Amino acid sequence: MKRSLSSLLGRTDGWGMPLVVLFIIAGLIELMRPGSFGLEQLALICASAMILVFVATGETIVVMRGGIDLSVGGTLSLASVISATRADLPGLDLLPWLALILGVGFLIGVANALIISLLKLQPFLVTLATWSIVEGIALIVQPSEGGTVPPVWFAWGYSRPFGIPISVLLLMLLMLWWAWFRRTRMANSIRAAGSNERSAYLNRVSLMGTNIAAYGISGVMAALAGFFYATQTGAGSPVVGAQYVLPAIAAVVIGGTSLAGGRGGLTGTITGAFILNLTGTVVFLLKLTSYWQIVAQGAILVLVVITGSIVEARSERSGADR
Amino acid sequence: MIPWLTNGLRSPSPILLAYLGALLIFVAVSLYSPGFAHPAHVSTLIVIAAFTGIVAIGQTMVIVGGGIDLSVPWLLNSAAVATTALTRSSDAALIWVVPMILVSSAGIGAINGLAIALLRVPPIVMTLSMNVMLMGLLFIVTRGFPPPPTPLALQWIANGRIATIGLPVMLFVWLALAAIALVVERRTAFGRYLYAVGSNRTVARLSGVPVAGTTIAAYAISGFTAGLAGVLLTGYAKQSYLGMGDPYLFTSIAAVAIGGASILGGSGSYLGTIAGALILTLLTGLLPIFRLDAGALKVIYGAVILFAVAIASPQLRRFFRRE
Repeated sequence: MKRSLSSLLGRTDGWGMPLVVLFIIAGLIELMRPGSFGLEQLALICASAMILVFVATGETIVVMRGGIDLSVGGTLSLASVISATRADLPGLDLLPWLALILGVGFLIGVANALIISLLKLQPFLVTLATWSIVEGIALIVQPSEGGTVPPVWFAWGYSRPFGIPISVLLLMLLMLWWAWFRRTRMANSIRAAGSNERSAYLNRVSLMGTNIAAYGISGVMAALAGFFYATQTGAGSPVVGAQYVLPAIAAVVIGGTSLAGGRGGLTGTITGAFILNLTGTVVFLLKLTSYWQIVAQGAILVLVVITGSIVEARSERSGADR
Repeated sequence: MIPWLTNGLRSPSPILLAYLGALLIFVAVSLYSPGFAHPAHVSTLIVIAAFTGIVAIGQTMVIVGGGIDLSVPWLLNSAAVATTALTRSSDAALIWVVPMILVSSAGIGAINGLAIALLRVPPIVMTLSMNVMLMGLLFIVTRGFPPPPTPLALQWIANGRIATIGLPVMLFVWLALAAIALVVERRTAFGRYLYAVGSNRTVARLSGVPVAGTTIAAYAISGFTAGLAGVLLTGYAKQSYLGMGDPYLFTSIAAVAIGGASILGGSGSYLGTIAGALILTLLTGLLPIFRLDAGALKVIYGAVILFAVAIASPQLRRFFRRE
């Protein structure tokens, strides 16, 4: 029985409920303003949600590993600032710079993982410290919002390869990546280490290796988010990342990934990110000030978690009865 | 000689190291820049440290109990805005406004505790959500209008000196609160429960510790100290403004971590947190001397936290003992 239950969990990754919530919110929006989900509108929604989706993607992997990554706030800012310092670049140099930015993100992640694994320290404190350090570096590189993104990158951010808006294309690529990654040996190891380090270790799962992979992916994704932010706004900001740390964790939790580790997946997280994004549309349609969006996001997060814990408690109880 | 001293020197406790660190920074900077040790400057630093120190009382208790309180910044900010908006610069109004704010702050903390203890919401999720909800509501309520200036009595408490001895009033406020915190931590049943809950919930529950009550009380205290810091901070800043609580999320947690408490709960003491608050404030004092900007301070803050938690790491200690 236990095996069938876990295989069921493995198949849905807990994204059933958030998907229902997303459809309810989308339905409400469609009722209030018919035609809100045409192709053009979807492209706009996607473009505004992608930054959060990228950050939350990395966060998902780290949380599955049983950790948490607060440093994504710093990495996102640093990546956006680096993207905005080279307006003079001719088009051909885009790729090496993109590689450099993603490399910086990867190195930050690896540093997190090494500190956590080698010194056996708590991820929360380590990444709180590295968040501060990396944001500090971003502030040194560029003390305030501004700079200019190379025109080529700016054009890339609004391009439509094969007629598909770039944000939609990126989302599809991300989902393809997840469809491949979730079945790999590494993903299984990350889940195993996240649910129980000791038994994972005894089964020859490398605790440090899975940490490096998880935090490394998180760093790359945060850097990608910063790069995407820069292409969308045309500038860099040394402090913008702080705005995405809570929503990223919120998207992960709403998406059904357990903060205790071992369980979850990207499908739920992406759903969670879009839920958080659409609350903004709802608040706008209700003609409320935009600050209600923040309140609504906090309330949704708490409600989803409370509902989840009540459902879990009930299923545990009925399981015990049998 | 004295057993605790020799033991302390052989394997120094994180608390002792934190105080030594604070002393080292102070002496080194004073030698480099003599004005640093000037009594007027020192008392300014103490006042600044006191605010972090007061917020960190609640943060220490919550962390010792195995949780974390990320709702501190906007709870503090709400208390600050309420203080100036409700008193309308009148000293007399403080008599009813301040108790009301402190009770409400403790109540909001208790709501955090209730959801965490009874509904099993993870502390990070609950307190972060509380933080953003308070932030959103505060923006909605104030609509960006600046409230009137702080009542003078409150300004005196935060900025004043006791004339005969020349020491800042805030020093005594902080000392009194610290004494209460240490007594609560060491000499009360609640204090013992807190360490029990923080080190192992299940064992604590089986031993008859009121786990839920202890958790709720810890978050209520954290709400109370954050609210109190907010009230006092309006005295220091002579006004309230949106965003004034933001630095305290990082500094309150950092002070606890530097003070040697484990973020997993069950260990630590406010005595260490005081040293943590002093170190963080001394580092802020470096800015003008070395002409550092905000970015450099963030890098230093992060490095200090990493250093402090690394020193406390059992892994590192084992490594050095092997040598």
